[in-house]
Amino acid sequence: MKKNRKKIKRKLIHTKSFRIIIGGLWRDNPIFCMVLGICSSLAITNRVENAITMGLGVTFVLIFTEVIISSLRNFIPERVRMITYMVVIATFVIVVDRFLKAFFPVISEALGPYVGLIITNCILMGRAEAYAIKNKLKDSLLDSIACGLGYTYILILMSVIREFFGFGTILGRKITSDTWTNWAAMTIAPGAFFLLAIYLWIFRTILKKTEQ
Amino acid sequence: MNGSNLIMIFLDTFLIRNIALVYILGMCPFIAISKNLKSASGMSMAIIFVVTLTAGLNWLIYWKILIPFKCEIFTFLIFIITIAATVQFIEMVIDKFFPPLYSTFGIFLPLITVNCIVLAVSLFMVLRNYNFIQTIVYAFGTASGWSLAIILMASIKEKLYLISDIPSGLKGPGITMIIAGILAFAFMGFAGMITIK
Amino acid sequence: MKEKIKILIFVLFLGSISGSLLLGVDKYTKFRIVKNQEFKIKAAVLDVFGLLYDKKSLEGVFKENIEMIKSDGFIFYKSKNGEFAFEFSGSGLWGPISGIIALEKDLKTIKGIKIIHQEETPGLGGRIAEAEFLSRFQGKEILPVIKIVPEGKAKEKNEVDAITGATGTSRAFEKLLNENIQKKLKILSTNEKE
Repeated sequence: MKKNRKKIKRKLIHTKSFRIIIGGLWRDNPIFCMVLGICSSLAITNRVENAITMGLGVTFVLIFTEVIISSLRNFIPERVRMITYMVVIATFVIVVDRFLKAFFPVISEALGPYVGLIITNCILMGRAEAYAIKNKLKDSLLDSIACGLGYTYILILMSVIREFFGFGTILGRKITSDTWTNWAAMTIAPGAFFLLAIYLWIFRTILKKTEQ
Repeated sequence: MNGSNLIMIFLDTFLIRNIALVYILGMCPFIAISKNLKSASGMSMAIIFVVTLTAGLNWLIYWKILIPFKCEIFTFLIFIITIAATVQFIEMVIDKFFPPLYSTFGIFLPLITVNCIVLAVSLFMVLRNYNFIQTIVYAFGTASGWSLAIILMASIKEKLYLISDIPSGLKGPGITMIIAGILAFAFMGFAGMITIK
Repeated sequence: MKEKIKILIFVLFLGSISGSLLLGVDKYTKFRIVKNQEFKIKAAVLDVFGLLYDKKSLEGVFKENIEMIKSDGFIFYKSKNGEFAFEFSGSGLWGPISGIIALEKDLKTIKGIKIIHQEETPGLGGRIAEAEFLSRFQGKEILPVIKIVPEGKAKEKNEVDAITGATGTSRAFEKLLNENIQKKLKILSTNEKE
């Protein structure tokens, strides 16, 4: 029985899908490894709710972009490849923007122009060109989900620390005592830069160790 | 509208609310191209040119076409297409008529389409209701501010890599983020420059 | 040639699909977006008058208590007790600031202020939107002008404590409040005489 389970596990590790998922979440994580799309990950992560919204927004656009590009990959003329990515991405970003404005006006206001800037988030263009245009629909779908979630959980990791130190709250709920002094620096740009540097340092050190 | 207002906009975007160090935009090339001063300044020239041009074009398109015809829903789509088309056009013109210029900054042009600050400037100018001249000054100031930041970064990194022993996990993007953080703190000092009477 | 036709067909196809999708989204969300904006202003008006409401009762409470008066292109909100409120807007230190201010019946004393939009530095200038700061204005007089003075120095009836560390924002806020108030008071007082 035990042997059997081990066998299944080994089989699972070596499937393509498994590799894609682990790649997106850990080994080729868009932020830590490829250092793509960090503009928004730094700028809006001072509140957890903003981070979740942004992460899911990017994931949503990424899934649709990869699925559409992948299923059209035999029809897209080589020369208008880039403009096709751009039109598809921009269309879905507008959908996200409108959806947030209509149903979550408060978050939409907090994110402001950064929702529109998902268009130039390098992850989208990068994954469309590097993956979706060459791979089957199923793999592209998995890749987009893995990359999107890999992006989202890092935004959440960043925002939890920044919101805790910067505002003394998590998801808007106060969890610190009244004597707590908010670290204003955490809510603005320098805090974001330093925090990401620390995360990158930890992640890259671990990754190097495990690879050796 | 008066001259002092325009100077305000320029100083504001160039130093005080630097788009790279306060709004944290344009980070991908900020990390990738800041390894040496030469490519950083080439990229800067291209950015200043493209941003100013596309912001002006997008202002005209937004206020003279999209708003009168009530097509605001297409704003993002039109903006990014304008940017892509402009970049392509400039690349063609430079390649054909100014080959020496092409070698200094033409090679950076294709990268610019996905640089967030080009789109960001167009989006911000709509949000802030700038008029045409203000938009041009705003775009020029923002792009110059970004260039200032990336040139500072490149100069610091060139020296840093020569003399210091950086932990291996921190090399590359990690150390860039730390320098950017310190620069961002330093730039906060410029906020005292503006006083409202 | 064949290649070019293929590209053209593809681009037209892509453009029409994306265009029709977006028009659909536009139609579906427009109504709600307009409604959200109205909701925000109405909620702010009720807040400055100190009227209680929740998400469901907002429309009802607003209709029952508040009369909207249009004059000279501005909207004034009049409560049952004869207090007035109006929107103010202007540029802060970093970006536009807008909100609602309510005055008591005497048109001299501030009843309440609420910020609808601001882009000041979070934790510093951004604190102008916090209830704690805005409550400092309650009961203060708007004549001859509101003065925002360094924290802890407010003595006169028209002086309000500033936010420490956000002098620029405080000063910009003072300026835009006074400008808006003076302009709208004029309209209000001529209206009242009629």
